[in-house]
Amino acid sequence: MSVPTYPSGSVRALLATEHVSEATRAALQNRLDAPAAYEPQFLAPETFALLEAVAGRLFPQPDRPERPIPLAPAVDQRLAEGRADGWRYDALPPDREALRMGLGGIQEIAQALFQADFMALSAEQQDSTLQSLADGTPPGTTWETLDAGRFFEELLAELTETYYAHPLAQEEIGYVGMADLPAWTKIGLNEKEEREPSQVGG
Amino acid sequence: MPDEEILEEGVLNPVKPEIQDPLLRALIADEPVKEMAPVDIPLEQPQAIPTAGDEVDCLVIGLGAGGAPLLARLAMAGLKVMALEAGPWHQPATDFATDEKAQDFLFWNDERLCAGADPLAMGKNNSGTGVGGSTLHYTAYTPRPLPDDLHVRRDFGQGEDWPFGYEELEPYYEELEQFLGISGPTPYPWGPARRKGYPLAPLPLNSAAQLMVRGCEMLGITTSPAANAALSARYYQEGVGWREACTNRGFCQAGCSNGAKASMDVTFIPLAVKYGAKIQPNSFVTEIERDAQGRITGVVYTQNGEQRRQRCRNLFLCSGSVETPRLLLLNELALTSGQVGKNLMAHPGVQVFGTFGEATRPHKGIPGSLISQDTHRPKDADFVGGYLLQSIGIMPVTFAGQVARGRKYWGQQLRDYMKNYNHVAGINILGDCLPHADNYMELADEKDARGLPKPRLHFTMQENERRMNDHAEALMRRIWTAAGATDIWSFPRMAHVIGTARMGLSGDDAVVDANGRAFDVPNLYICDNSTFPSALSVNPALTIMALSLRTADKFLESQQRRDV
Repeated sequence: MSVPTYPSGSVRALLATEHVSEATRAALQNRLDAPAAYEPQFLAPETFALLEAVAGRLFPQPDRPERPIPLAPAVDQRLAEGRADGWRYDALPPDREALRMGLGGIQEIAQALFQADFMALSAEQQDSTLQSLADGTPPGTTWETLDAGRFFEELLAELTETYYAHPLAQEEIGYVGMADLPAWTKIGLNEKEEREPSQVGG
Repeated sequence: MPDEEILEEGVLNPVKPEIQDPLLRALIADEPVKEMAPVDIPLEQPQAIPTAGDEVDCLVIGLGAGGAPLLARLAMAGLKVMALEAGPWHQPATDFATDEKAQDFLFWNDERLCAGADPLAMGKNNSGTGVGGSTLHYTAYTPRPLPDDLHVRRDFGQGEDWPFGYEELEPYYEELEQFLGISGPTPYPWGPARRKGYPLAPLPLNSAAQLMVRGCEMLGITTSPAANAALSARYYQEGVGWREACTNRGFCQAGCSNGAKASMDVTFIPLAVKYGAKIQPNSFVTEIERDAQGRITGVVYTQNGEQRRQRCRNLFLCSGSVETPRLLLLNELALTSGQVGKNLMAHPGVQVFGTFGEATRPHKGIPGSLISQDTHRPKDADFVGGYLLQSIGIMPVTFAGQVARGRKYWGQQLRDYMKNYNHVAGINILGDCLPHADNYMELADEKDARGLPKPRLHFTMQENERRMNDHAEALMRRIWTAAGATDIWSFPRMAHVIGTARMGLSGDDAVVDANGRAFDVPNLYICDNSTFPSALSVNPALTIMALSLRTADKFLESQQRRDV
């Protein structure tokens, strides 16, 4: 099946309308307006750059070369503020420690596989490094104490949830659920309100 | 015996010193014991912890499905009642965004450590905070259990029976359905005939429900629009006023903003307040104090950074299956049965997703739109108990997170798959779970920001849960294939945390009696999902509320008689 595509701009156009509540608009507009430059609050600058590079492969955004949806800042901010999401795999150390260890471990994998720093690798080599991590048994002493599979799952899930909370990512998948005022009345199969986007060419 | 520290004359406090606030500790240490008389302390006299107001008849900790109904019932009986709720009191109409991330504040976000071979996901999956508790983000799926759900041991020789039968809960189910305005089918296709039907017609079927009807029809499985505690029409609620109909936002799990969903903050809590109940939000209880006879005298809590004490004649602990046993363990209270924290259960809830040619736009409509209980006791089962089938709507961020964790997609593959979101639909089950010695909650050595030990939840699916999930997954794959799905995949999942302070007939193997009263402590009642002796094969919220009303009635009855 071909991958559906949706017109760009759908969410942004709806944000200004009365279909979106004030609280909803504030949350989404805030993400759209986040400044492009971000000064890390928790991670050291070089560690933050590594996290950004990892996020850049877990969520490649060749379609947004100038301004990708920012993913690493949300992780850094959360750790700086000491926020949690209500649970942690007992197999992993506390989040701050796990991230520092895990990023160091990614460097270890890069060194073991390609004898180079992760940042110096080609995109394909970076992907191989991350696939080794995703597979659960990567090389490196870090992974003798840090559960690779769980670490990868947690990092990927956080970046994924950050990505799809962004209005541009929601435009990409044709989601306009935030424009729910006054109501949805067409909720069955192949039913759609006028304000919901159609697939391009579909 | 626990280490005991004398805080006040005649009040024993067994909470270990290391978990207390350092400032408070210093204050207490400086305070001569005899100056801390338990009654009538003049305001100008220095105190370690200010006592907030007068003693109340009943103090309720936690304002979810366990605490709110009984709070209203006790207030209506004319008692002086107060509730302490750890989270804030929201204004959903203005505060709640139609945005999953912005609504994260609805979850209990303090860290729980999740251990075992199948660690339970907590946070948005299994927790809640705020006036209304986890009903603020429950799906409002409110089927009644079937009568034999309460007798798994009688019927299968495994698991545990409830200390009473379905007939004890039936009048409360009926009362709740009428009071909350539950929308559902009349007559209901499964279980015994009912005296009254649902007060409102079912909510409209969304795409996933239509697809499940299609698939199930081809396989000869009966389906029905489900019972949901969300209004299919405007409804007048006793003591509360008019509540508006559901607008099909599909955001039940991230908070209802128009009051159509029967969360506690728009139903029992306003009713309780109308009858004089006092609500203290942002109040986190740390200590439960008692006298030399072991009777509870009050609690110590933190509100907006300040320690306070509230005295009470009776305490109702309604904090859910993690915080309830945590408070009991921290305070070394009601532990003689050895069952506090034990018997941790969770519903097998495997989900199956598929991609359809038709557009589904799966975020619209009540998420649990359709039900089948044909699988309540499957003929070909190789396991104890059974499950229900449910169609599911799903919001995009939740779905994406599950794709990442469940399919392990990342990079371009994940982005491409997510572009099918508007063509995805899901079904899942909710099944019974047997208690097992390996599944329990304990206090970890690791401390939280308050200096209290974090809870650690051990959970490993046992043979019975695995077989049930396998049976269900195979069936749901057949249903989805019959409905026309491609690219079918399953997401293994457990839902709801149940059973860490079980109810039973004897204090030898249960924490509370059939009325919810602690065997060890005469003026302590527990009412939430922790007291369930077995998990039941339906969502727990309706039964938690039924138990709550029943506990209040049993308590009030006992106040009328001198012999109980």
